[in-house]
Amino acid sequence: MRPWRVAVRGHSMEPALREGDWVLVFPPRGRPRPGDVVLVRDPQERARLLLKRVAEVRSDGVFVLGDRRDHSRDSRAFDAIPFVDVVGRAAFRYAPLRRFGPIGRA
Amino acid sequence: MLARLLKPTTVAYAHCDIPCGIYDPTPAKIAADTVAKMVEKINALDKSATDFTTRGNFVRMVVVKEQHAEICKKELQVLWSDYFKPEHLEKFPKLHDTFWKALKLASKNKQSVDAQAAADLQAAVKEISDMFWATKK
Repeated sequence: MRPWRVAVRGHSMEPALREGDWVLVFPPRGRPRPGDVVLVRDPQERARLLLKRVAEVRSDGVFVLGDRRDHSRDSRAFDAIPFVDVVGRAAFRYAPLRRFGPIGRA
Repeated sequence: MLARLLKPTTVAYAHCDIPCGIYDPTPAKIAADTVAKMVEKINALDKSATDFTTRGNFVRMVVVKEQHAEICKKELQVLWSDYFKPEHLEKFPKLHDTFWKALKLASKNKQSVDAQAAADLQAAVKEISDMFWATKK
C-alpha cells in the first residue's frame, strides 16, 4: 500500500497546504473523520482531484470545506462528496523541506 | 534520480477557481429589486413639487436606480461568462437568449423610469436564478 505523491495547486487550504507543497496521500482506512484533509474527486469535473478538509461526516458522504472560506469552492457549492469519491487522506507534507511534517487534523 | 522518485505523480486542487469561484445570483436579484423599488418611489413623488428636498430625493432615487441597474448587469455578465458552462447550455437551450434579454432590460431600466421594465428585469433575473440553482442539484 503505497501513498500517492500529490502536488498542491491553489490557495483554498492555506496555511495548512500551500501552492507547490508536495504531500503524501494514503488510501482511506475506514470512514474519514472531521478535520481530516482528504483528496476527493471534484463532483463538477470528475477528472480533477481536490484537497479539502472534512467539516462533517454525514450518512451519505463527507461535507468538505476549504480552510480559507473566502477562497474556496467546496461542499457549499457542490454539497457532500459520496464516500466512494474520497480517494484518500493527505497526511504528510514532504516538500518543501522547511514545511516537512504531518498535516494536522484541525 | 532522487528528484524523480520524490516528484509528485498527481496534481490536486486546493481549489479557489480564481476569481474565487463563488457565484451566486442573489446580488443580481437584490439589484433588480432595488431598481423596482426606486421606480416605485420615483413614481410616488409629487410631480408638481419644485422644492429642493423633493428635487434632491428625485435625483438621489434616479442615481440609485441607475447604479443598481448597472450592478445587476455586471452580476449577470459574470454569471453568464464565468459560471455557466457548455453542458449547462445543453440543459437550458434558452440560456443565451435569456441572458441577452436580461442585460438589455438592465440597460432599459437605466434609461427609463418604467415599472413594467423593472418588473420584467426582476422576472428575467428570477429565470436566470432558477437555472443557476437547477445546475446545483
